[in-house]
Amino acid sequence: MILSRDEEEMACGKHGPGLEKCMNILIKFGEAMGAEKMVPISSAHTIPREPPDLLLEMTEGVGQTGTFTTLHALMSAFDPHLWQKMGISESYASKEIPVMTQRLDVYRRLGFYETYTCLPMLVGNLPRRGDFISWIGSCAQLFVNSLLGARTNRDGAVLNLAAAITGKAPYRGLFLDENRHGQVLVELEGVDTRGITYTELGAIGYYVGSRAQQRNVVINGLPRDLNICHLLALMAPLPASGSVSICHVVGSTPEAPTLEQAFGNQKPAEVIRVDKSAIEETRALHALGRQEAVDMCILGCPHCTIQEIRNIASKLTGKKLRRGKRMWIGSPYQTYYLAQTMGYSRIIEDAGGVISSSCMATIPDSPIPDDVRTLATNSFKAAHYISRLTKGRVKVAVMEMSECIDAVSG
Amino acid sequence: MKTKGRIVNEGKAAGLAVVLDVPFSFIGDFDPTTGNITIPNHPLFGKTIAGKILVCPTGKGGTIAPFVAYEAEKKGNAPAAILCREADPILCESALAINIPILDSLGEDFFRYIKTGQAVSIENGEVTVVG
Repeated sequence: MILSRDEEEMACGKHGPGLEKCMNILIKFGEAMGAEKMVPISSAHTIPREPPDLLLEMTEGVGQTGTFTTLHALMSAFDPHLWQKMGISESYASKEIPVMTQRLDVYRRLGFYETYTCLPMLVGNLPRRGDFISWIGSCAQLFVNSLLGARTNRDGAVLNLAAAITGKAPYRGLFLDENRHGQVLVELEGVDTRGITYTELGAIGYYVGSRAQQRNVVINGLPRDLNICHLLALMAPLPASGSVSICHVVGSTPEAPTLEQAFGNQKPAEVIRVDKSAIEETRALHALGRQEAVDMCILGCPHCTIQEIRNIASKLTGKKLRRGKRMWIGSPYQTYYLAQTMGYSRIIEDAGGVISSSCMATIPDSPIPDDVRTLATNSFKAAHYISRLTKGRVKVAVMEMSECIDAVSG
Repeated sequence: MKTKGRIVNEGKAAGLAVVLDVPFSFIGDFDPTTGNITIPNHPLFGKTIAGKILVCPTGKGGTIAPFVAYEAEKKGNAPAAILCREADPILCESALAINIPILDSLGEDFFRYIKTGQAVSIENGEVTVVG
């Protein structure tokens, strides 16, 4: 690899052991992947789940992050302030809290932004089209590539942290124009796209992800007036049932003004046709029987926007969670403060709901309370992970947001 | 037998081979607290890879897999080295996080020959299998 002087200095330890370790990981990785050089990144987004010893090794002697770095949602849904209200066990909390404190010391010393969200673009980490970045979180990666046209690879957590600390990343993969074009085309057949619901969009995403696997997706035939929440619902399941890194929506997303441009004037390798029966079959994968009552409702995977919080508050006005029911809502702290100012958070909390800046897909170890057997969510991604991480203990159904709320409140 | 691979991370290692026929991830396929393989219904389920030479076709998924590899290493449960056909980004990164040797591009002869339990040594990209 061709390295700049500052990259060489970092690699040989001139700037301390943390930068030495980080740069050597980036160089060895870059060489293995055939990268010719490093490039500066304009932002990073890292996962607050590091083993503390590793975080200390990688930041030893480092004064501040090498680029603007925000933090991903609190993992496993565990919130250090709200865990009791959420019904998470004390034994789980007593293991997590000391480790979180150790990490927080490092974050504050190096100036990580304590955003704790899977949608960092909503709270100030807003890269421009064409920017090189290193972001973690399969949805954050997919959204920023697809909706903003900034460029991140599906870096793993260690490479991503090394990039945040050095401010550099190997020039490879999705940083290059030719790797960003569509590979598979999705055509909707007999689907009424005008009145399309969030659940239908999520089902389309979940179905397409399992068939596209790691390939770049282009979706054709969706109306231009779908809002950002619609597009998030559509895209969020793609890296759960598959490992899609980029999804162009023709006429909506920046690298897909036309079908031809989305494919870089190449032919699609495969056409995935989605009809009504594919949507219904996908919905049936995460459904409850008619007689099954819902114990818990999870909203906010990906994190709720302020408009979604308003909708939840409006639906919960004058209502309470029914006895023994639970409701977790994922949304960034910053949105929570706005919801507080506007009076929405009080309505939700008075009804018995909890709003947390944590991961509602509950990755990686799902501390869903023991008394929960059935769960309703509006997210196929949350349904996918919660049903797997609880090893079948919790049965998860996907419904519209209003149906999820009705199922636990009255 | 002796063969050569492409050095993804250099280093010396020796140990008994554990040969997987499916792509491997440190998250989901592996328990860092025991070093055991946890792939459901796999013949190697419950077998340890701690201190072993892990042989697999490639890696897969799981962006926090490198953290799990690190936790395993701290507990003495990580493999001593990895030999594969293709080091995918996450497997490569996992090996780099704990600085164990990893070679890829090993030939089909090697994959036909190598069996779980054979003694393997690795040095300068050269792999020696005894027995």
